[in-house]
Amino acid sequence: MIKVRIPTPLRPMTGGKNEVEIAGNSVAEILENLGSAHPGIKERICDDEGEVRRFINIYVNEEDIRFLTGKETPLKEGDEVSIIPAIAGGR
Amino acid sequence: MFYIPSGLIQDMIAHARELAPHECCGILAGTNQTVAENYRITNILATMSEQELSRFEGAKLSDLQRLSPEERADIAFQMDAREMAMAQRAIRAKDHELLGFYHSHTFSPARPSQTDITIAMEFESYRTKLNLPAPLHLIVSLEHPDTPDIRAYRIMDSQATEVSIQPISAS
Ligand SMILES: [Zn+2]
Repeated sequence: MIKVRIPTPLRPMTGGKNEVEIAGNSVAEILENLGSAHPGIKERICDDEGEVRRFINIYVNEEDIRFLTGKETPLKEGDEVSIIPAIAGGR
Repeated sequence: MFYIPSGLIQDMIAHARELAPHECCGILAGTNQTVAENYRITNILATMSEQELSRFEGAKLSDLQRLSPEERADIAFQMDAREMAMAQRAIRAKDHELLGFYHSHTFSPARPSQTDITIAMEFESYRTKLNLPAPLHLIVSLEHPDTPDIRAYRIMDSQATEVSIQPISAS
């Protein structure tokens, strides 16, 4: 199982949990299985084409998956996936 | 106290003016308490879908939903995640640290809004797990267009505390 960190805005969809354990051998599988376990959450992270939305970064441990092999990035026991919205704000 | 080359301060003000009335946003990097560079990041808010706006919460979300996409960028910003990741990679390659974030308030004072504080706290919730230092949140206000005001804050435990910034001549 892989530990997946859930950002504050998505926690209502995981029953308030900031971390969930999800099975999967790649980031793509984690996103798929996360979506099955918590309906609606995958649509918040990925667009209709399945691409990660432009305001979200996904990290495996401390590295952004864009600098690994994207959604195909393989995962092993002990890895941690973090879903992180980029900084925003306003007036 | 944070030290920022005056050229970078001028660049942040120029960035804010170029994008006004939209808010601008970017990243500051350097070492210790001294900023050495800034990265302009695209504010993608005006091109976000209705569904993507749910990234914001509460009053800000309802304010955004009432406005046209173009007007939304006047009251808020969302950094492009890819550009942010690229900047963080460039920062590491230079042995710099991510020291903070900046954005503009086109029509309001250089003080963090509730949205700024909420999202800064969201960042705090995963910052240490990614080994990032506590960031400075710098705001460029164009409320008085001829005399831009630029102020920096630490945001901890949902409280913003102003930090003084000292312009320095060379970078
Ligand atoms: Zn703000």
